[in-house]
Amino acid sequence: MTDPDNTTTSQISEPLDLVHLSLDERVFVKLRGDRELRGRLHAYDSHCNMVLGDVEETIYVVNDDEEDESVQTIKKHSEMLFVRGDSVVLVSPLVQS
Amino acid sequence: MLFFSFFKTLVDHEVTIELKNDLCITGTLKSVDQFLNIKLDEIRVKDEARYPHLAAVKNVFIRGSVVRYVHLPANAVDTALLEDATRREAGNAAGGKGR
Amino acid sequence: MFGGHYLPKTMCSSLGDPPPKGRSRTGAYETLYIYPPTLPPQMFTTSAQLLDLTDKKLMITLRDGRKIIGVLRAWDQVPNLVIQNTTERIFAGGMYCDVPRGILIVRGENVLLLGEIDLDREDDIPLPQRSYAELAPLQEIEKKELKRRDKVHRKKLRALGFEDEGEVLH
Repeated sequence: MTDPDNTTTSQISEPLDLVHLSLDERVFVKLRGDRELRGRLHAYDSHCNMVLGDVEETIYVVNDDEEDESVQTIKKHSEMLFVRGDSVVLVSPLVQS
Repeated sequence: MLFFSFFKTLVDHEVTIELKNDLCITGTLKSVDQFLNIKLDEIRVKDEARYPHLAAVKNVFIRGSVVRYVHLPANAVDTALLEDATRREAGNAAGGKGR
Repeated sequence: MFGGHYLPKTMCSSLGDPPPKGRSRTGAYETLYIYPPTLPPQMFTTSAQLLDLTDKKLMITLRDGRKIIGVLRAWDQVPNLVIQNTTERIFAGGMYCDVPRGILIVRGENVLLLGEIDLDREDDIPLPQRSYAELAPLQEIEKKELKRRDKVHRKKLRALGFEDEGEVLH
């Protein structure tokens, strides 16, 4: 994960530096709408646009019946995914269990 | 500009764009601009019956801001190169440390 | 603005610098990185993308879900659009109708997508055409139902700790 010829990885001075440390690591990304992603972070920029590899997308589906409180999840897999930054709510390193 | 450059390397590859309204359009990536507006050729729409207005459409211009995902062909992406480019861009943004 | 300075350092440096150690690179990808000029930069502008669509018959989907059919006559970078001879195509209850709307200026942020209509296929609409009078009440009902579902949906997801997508796109 560490990049010996880039000193910035050892200095955390702004929030995105934390994302920097997750490059080529698995991350958890929470999105606007009812979605979450888990995948390997291959690229990002300052808008939080990202490219993730080997992604598992979890979509939360609620019933449109007011009474029925049940929540279902749909899982989708994608081998390589570009995610537009304006949907991103949070990015977090994913500890492998 | 990282992703703008990145998408330019994917021209002529088949991608699937998922919009924020859940519409999925598959087609050949023909062009991209600085706002990540994207042009696709020879499009196919997933769940076509729900989108009859796209039945006779052959190519589309999609406004970047309405894109949620772009599903990419994994074999067209060099992840090591991408990570490298990301490190450099992040390094530059953090005060010109990159080469 | 579209000189070449926007290329990430990777691309520029791969011309001069030796490749980083221990990294294998696929031939095709490297070629693209080293020789981006094979595709002229002016191809990758909003103008170039829209130039191809100018004076063509287009189907324009707006952010609120409306579908406008017309001929694209003018545009700018945003891209705001001027569309001539427009009709709005309304779908409801598995039927459709066309309502003439004249000439329109569309503000860029309201554009979802522009699609070029294949003139050989444009009449193969898999749905029956009806009058607006017939479809209007159906459309109203469908809109209401959509709104209701969306409200329930948002309420439930907020309870789960999700932020909604701001405005719903149709």
